[in-house]
Formats: sequence, structure tokens, C-alpha cells
Amino acid sequence: MEHTEHLEHTEPPKDMKKKIWRTFWILLGLTIIDIAIYFWLMDHKSMTKNFTFITLGVVKAFFIVGTFMHMKFERKWLPYLIITPMVLVLYFITLMVIEGNYTSFVR
Amino acid sequence: MSNAATLTTEKKGTWGGGRSPFSVSYGKLMMWIFLLSDAFTFSSLLVAYGFIRHSYESNKVTPWPSPDHVFNHFPFLHGVHLPLMFVSLMTFILIFSSVTMVLAVEAGHRMAKREVGMYMFLTILGGIGFLSCQAWEWTQFITGTHDGHIFADGSFFKGANLMKNEYGPTPFGDLFFIVTGFHGFHVFSGVVINVIIYLNVLAGTYDKRGHYEMVEKVGLYWHFVDLVWVFVFTFYYLI
Repeated sequence: MEHTEHLEHTEPPKDMKKKIWRTFWILLGLTIIDIAIYFWLMDHKSMTKNFTFITLGVVKAFFIVGTFMHMKFERKWLPYLIITPMVLVLYFITLMVIEGNYTSFVR
Repeated sequence: MSNAATLTTEKKGTWGGGRSPFSVSYGKLMMWIFLLSDAFTFSSLLVAYGFIRHSYESNKVTPWPSPDHVFNHFPFLHGVHLPLMFVSLMTFILIFSSVTMVLAVEAGHRMAKREVGMYMFLTILGGIGFLSCQAWEWTQFITGTHDGHIFADGSFFKGANLMKNEYGPTPFGDLFFIVTGFHGFHVFSGVVINVIIYLNVLAGTYDKRGHYEMVEKVGLYWHFVDLVWVFVFTFYYLI
């Protein structure tokens, strides 16, 4: 079934290990910033705060998908294959949250 | 473009055949597409969560609770008020297991069998650790706090089930169980798959095969699980 096949793949960069650890520290730092913002601005309920959290989440996603999942080093169209539907999903989420504003559950 | 050896010296274009789309193997591409579909599933859950939660924004009778009022416990520290600390620890565990996973993949590129095994073992430990933490979190949630809650009709209730919970409106409990449960199921299946691949690494299957691409594919799944947790953490606990 399996044979020693020649694989086509994009070569990982030479200092991959250093990049990996650097990404870990970045992710850790972003999570700490997340929690710090949460407590610092706990009593202010604002859309800006929510958007900050979502933006930080997306930045973390970029690091995880780019470095850990190797996406940054793949051929250009593979990232587009993944990112394009997800941008549309983000749009969908935004619309549904706005829709939720118009619906008030009265119990 | 590709580094595959060709029998002829004729230059092949993109559609000339003999190469894999995006220059990734079939297995890896299918894993990416599966992850995309799974991302849609989780997105729909989060959309439902956003919609339902937002519809409670103006509700004064049963307001949606603030997460730091509900999730302020920590194992072995009974009674100490530590809002969101435990769930931050869970996030850290999962991110760290992702790091060990990608280190395993990197070791696989160098065909370093023992390193791959060691890093995969650490990843499995991280996954089991996360599941244990989630199980503890669920137990706390279901058992409830010391005081419980008195509902508007005068009835007293402690803890949480799918009908009602002491923290807020019914969907708060339901969505907690569904979203974290579905994610936890993915972590569990990821741990099972990781164990299988780990045993294969130890047995030398991939050494004989000549490449550790299976470790890479399984790594993609594991990173996806971590990624979903990042978003669940953001939407459920922070916002």
C-alpha cells in the first residue's frame, strides 16, 4: 500500500524552531492582554471592547494558522482557499449579531 | 515550481499534469478541506450563540450573567475568588500542547524519530490535561454554587441542567454544554488519533515510509482544535 514516495511539499524555513517558540510567546502575550483588557474595562460595556477581543482572537488565529499550521509557507492559493470562506463567515456572524439586537426574548 | 523528478525535460505548465494541486499531497489537502467544513460547523454554533445572547441584552428579568461571576473557581482553592483564571489556564495548556505538536512535526521533517515520539507524548498529555480541566469545569457548573438561586416564581434551584440553571437564562447553560461539549469531543477524538499516530511513530511505521507526513496531518487537526478554543474562549468568556 505505501511506498517510499516522493512528496511534493514546500520546504520549511531553516530557523523553524525559533519561529515556533517566538509564536508561542506571542500567543501567550496576546492571551494575557485579552484577560488584562477584560478586567481593566470590566464595567464598561462597549462595542469597541468587543471588537478588540475579536481582533485579538483573529490575530491569534493568524499566528496559529500561519506558523503552526504552516500556511505561511504554502503556495499562495491554499491560504486563499481557507481565508475567503472564513471572511464570509465573519460577515454572517456580524449580521446575525445585529439581528439578535432586533429580537428581544421576553420570559 | 515543483521539485519532483520528471522523465522528460519538457516544461509542464500548471495544468500539464503530474503534480498535485497547491503542491500539497492529497491527504493534506483533504485534511484542510475537512477543517474548513468543521470550521463552518463551529461558526454556526457561535453564530447561534451570538444571536441568542444578543437577544438577552435588554432583558432585565433574567439577564445574561457576566462570565466572571460564574467562572471564578479554581481546583484545590475552594472559596478563593479567581475569576476566569481557570479557563485561562486551560487556554495555556492547549496552546502549549499545540507548540509541542508543531515541534513534533518539525522533528518529523528531520526524520528524528525519538524527538517526534517525545513531543507527541507531551501533546497527548496536554490534551488529557485539558479534558480533565474541562471535566472539572463541567462538574462545578452542574453542581452549582453554595447559595443557588431563587427564581421569580419563588422556587429554589442549585446547579445547572438543560432545563434551567442558577446563573441566568436557560440558553446560558444549554449553550455552555453544547459549545464546550462539542469542542471537548473534538479534543477527545484528537487525543485518540494522536495516540494512534504516536504508537505508529514508536513502531517505526513512518520511518519505513520515508516521511512523517501523517504527523503533519494530525498536527493540522490538533491546531484546528486549539484555534476553535481560542474563539470559544473569546466569544463565551470574554465578550
